[in-house]
Amino acid sequence: MQAKRTTFPNKFLPYWLLVPQLAVTLIFFIWPAVQALKSSFEREDPFGFKTTFVWFENYRRLLVDPMYVGSLGRTAVFAFSVTALSMSLSLILAVAVNRVLRSNRAYTTLLVWPYAVAPVVVGILWWFMFNPTIGIAPYLLRGMGIAWNHRVDGNQAMIFVVMAASWKQISYNFLFFVAGLQSVPQSQIEAAAIDGAGPFKRFWTIVFPLLAPTTFFLLIVNINYAMFDTFGIIDATTQGGPAQATNILVYKVYTDGFLGLNIGSSSAQSVILMIIVIALTAIQFRYVERRIQY
Amino acid sequence: MATINIVDLQKNYGPVPAVKGINLSVEDGELIVLVGPSGCGKSTLLRMVAGLESVTSGRIEIAGRDVVKAEPAERDIAMVFQNYALYPHMTVRGNLEYGLKNRGTPRAEIDRRVQEAADILEIGPLLDRKPRQLSGGQRQRVAMGRAIVREPAAFLFDEPLSNLDAKLRVQMRVEIRKLQRRLKTTSLYVTHDQLEAMTLADRLVVMNGGLVEQIGTPTDVYDRPATLFVAGFIGSPPMNLVPLSAFSGADFSALPPNTDIVGIRPDALLLERPEGPSVTVEAIAELLEPIGGESHLHVKLTGSNQSVVLSIQGRPHVDEGAALTIFARPADLHPFNSATGRRTDDPATA
Amino acid sequence: MIENRPFLAFLTHLVLIVGVVIVVFPVYLAFVASTHGSGDFMRGLVPLLPGPHLIENYSFMLNEGISSAGAPPLWIMLLNSLVMAISIAVGKIIISILSAYAIVFFRFPFRMVAFWIIFITLMLPVEVRIIPTFKVVADLGMLNSYPGLIIPLIASATATFLFRQFFLTVPDELMEAARVDGAGAMKFFRDILLPLSRTNIAALFVILFIYGWVQYLWPLLVTTDSRYYTIVMGIKRLAATADSEPQWNFVMAAVMLAMLPPVLVVIFMQRLFVKGLVETEK
Repeated sequence: MQAKRTTFPNKFLPYWLLVPQLAVTLIFFIWPAVQALKSSFEREDPFGFKTTFVWFENYRRLLVDPMYVGSLGRTAVFAFSVTALSMSLSLILAVAVNRVLRSNRAYTTLLVWPYAVAPVVVGILWWFMFNPTIGIAPYLLRGMGIAWNHRVDGNQAMIFVVMAASWKQISYNFLFFVAGLQSVPQSQIEAAAIDGAGPFKRFWTIVFPLLAPTTFFLLIVNINYAMFDTFGIIDATTQGGPAQATNILVYKVYTDGFLGLNIGSSSAQSVILMIIVIALTAIQFRYVERRIQY
Repeated sequence: MATINIVDLQKNYGPVPAVKGINLSVEDGELIVLVGPSGCGKSTLLRMVAGLESVTSGRIEIAGRDVVKAEPAERDIAMVFQNYALYPHMTVRGNLEYGLKNRGTPRAEIDRRVQEAADILEIGPLLDRKPRQLSGGQRQRVAMGRAIVREPAAFLFDEPLSNLDAKLRVQMRVEIRKLQRRLKTTSLYVTHDQLEAMTLADRLVVMNGGLVEQIGTPTDVYDRPATLFVAGFIGSPPMNLVPLSAFSGADFSALPPNTDIVGIRPDALLLERPEGPSVTVEAIAELLEPIGGESHLHVKLTGSNQSVVLSIQGRPHVDEGAALTIFARPADLHPFNSATGRRTDDPATA
Repeated sequence: MIENRPFLAFLTHLVLIVGVVIVVFPVYLAFVASTHGSGDFMRGLVPLLPGPHLIENYSFMLNEGISSAGAPPLWIMLLNSLVMAISIAVGKIIISILSAYAIVFFRFPFRMVAFWIIFITLMLPVEVRIIPTFKVVADLGMLNSYPGLIIPLIASATATFLFRQFFLTVPDELMEAARVDGAGAMKFFRDILLPLSRTNIAALFVILFIYGWVQYLWPLLVTTDSRYYTIVMGIKRLAATADSEPQWNFVMAAVMLAMLPPVLVVIFMQRLFVKGLVETEK
């Protein structure tokens, strides 16, 4: 790994410099993770007196549990929908802003601030907007002949949380797409224009392929976001309901472990989530390394 | 004022040797230029003297004191870097003062020295500016100033002019020379530019492959290159190094017996027969490059494919493709042996 | 752009305006709600234009809160959030800049190990290790305390990598010049490196302040004492009761107050915000 050509000769100083970071990491990250791993192989009797080592029993039970498998599927649907919806809206907005000259700073400002809104606050905002009794959205939908009640209709609930989660992520994707668009060399676009490509053709044949690295990066980040950072949104809107319809993995870990107090099962769920994060991070970093090389 | 003594200095990067045993004494007040192609170990040598690179084995003495284990700051040296390495967030004055403050120099003394350096380098009006507000030449002066204020035992220069454009480089070269003469501070100067080396040095150290090829005054080195490498490296256009076998008809019987390559400076090849004895060779003119006051004539020796360059005063009329007779004085021939790479007429190494 | 087509220009602005409306509308609705009296929500549809009770609602929430919902006055929660967000940002920056400094400017045994331990934190978000982390904090007696809210969140791989990346771009000669000038490791850090890192620190602060402010799950776990509630988790409690007791105006006033500080930071420090966001993700 890279370091400076010359380094300071101090023998102990670097360790002192690292102590705070490593201490926090070891105590609050690695130790709990190891604990989770350990308890995922154990089962506690109902009174908490005795724990027995049960190998992969907790995992086996999870994977045959229709509730868990259902949650896995719903998480996939949720993550995919949020990623697709949020990224496509953001790309359209980024392309539009990139075409505008004078007012682009104003538009950018108006579009980026939701980044700073806490997921749980996003949840409350959308919950208010879609509240079946007084919300404006159900009122308008009723006008169009759609009966909206995400408290009883699982599909509506899923659509609802997907919209809320996508809304929050628009600003993030938008900023990265704008940065990506700005790094497309103007000369290539001009060359394509001279070759007779109109604006839409230019976008699909020149700009979009050049955005591929940004798009791929955002894909991973968005999946990550949808899977892990949306806890607050779910908690403030549907709380996993109705009838598990929006109970995504990260919310289920919390409810099973904290509210249901099933440590073994919750730990196994945690470990599965960790494996998913590790896989996503690995993909992301392999790709980043490639980008550095080229 | 101090001498620098380098004894059998070696540096390995892991198993790879970068400096392979170098001996060098720098006299008090002398300006020594280390010159060589990139990767020859000259910068590593300088950085070992500065204390920025650890020493694998050997000794470095500055002012009679062994400094191999000393921190850079304890060696009483000042260094001028290639990219100037000015602290970007400090003013020029801040840059000059920093080293003195770190040493606990009294305020009045700091002010006196900064003022003095500013006067010498004519950077007084720039003292309150930040480095980014300065031109390349001004930054170079500030970097020099930072070295001067320290009043060190020795200056170390690491290619200080290579970031400047050609014109400024020549100007700064002259200034560095004048300044060093005036301050009489012992100096080690690294460059890859042989012209810069020739014009600056009291003595040149030509390095190649981690070893010293030759140490001597610029004229010594130019007039009597000790090795084939030095012969090819010093001088522009470079010396013609021609295998004896490429000459047909010339008589080289006067050269030492184990000579198989002969070196001739482009300006020692003549189109007219000189007075006294001379060597002659036939050639075909290939290309004439007029470069102002002189011209470079590229020719091919008859009977071989060997290209040779002549440097001729003025603008001779030579048609390309014309057959020529070229002359050289025997005294201008440098005899070498290709196996040892050394001169064959040197009593010490012949 | 290259050609001048009025229709395309019109379409562009239309797209942007629709985008802005989508982004702004939910918040506008909340703002409108926060300016009405409680009775205005009985009629079955939320009002769409601002009402006259703005100052009244906000000052009520700030100073009194709704104790029946277990929410203390908002100013306490805002203060807690501020303390938490600033401490997390400052803490992350300090420990990250120190570790990046160690990793880039020194060579020492286990340097790679240290790097990988820090890297691993990227793969262990709170959400996946909730219970054991909670247990550690409980065992250390850090529940219901500022340290418990702050310290477990201040390890940061991204901040460390950002500083590492920046340090690698600082010319080697700068450090060498400083050493020749007699600066030791910490003096170089303080006199040269820290001032050079100013912009990076500021950009990172903006991002990390937001990160700290929007934390929800963690404060929810470690605080049961309302004196340590942060605004973001506090309003969730408020909202939970709002359905039965329709005090929408108060809930939405709280929502606006919870959003305001980080949103203002983004709007007024947009340049730093964008720099921080784009660079931490490299």
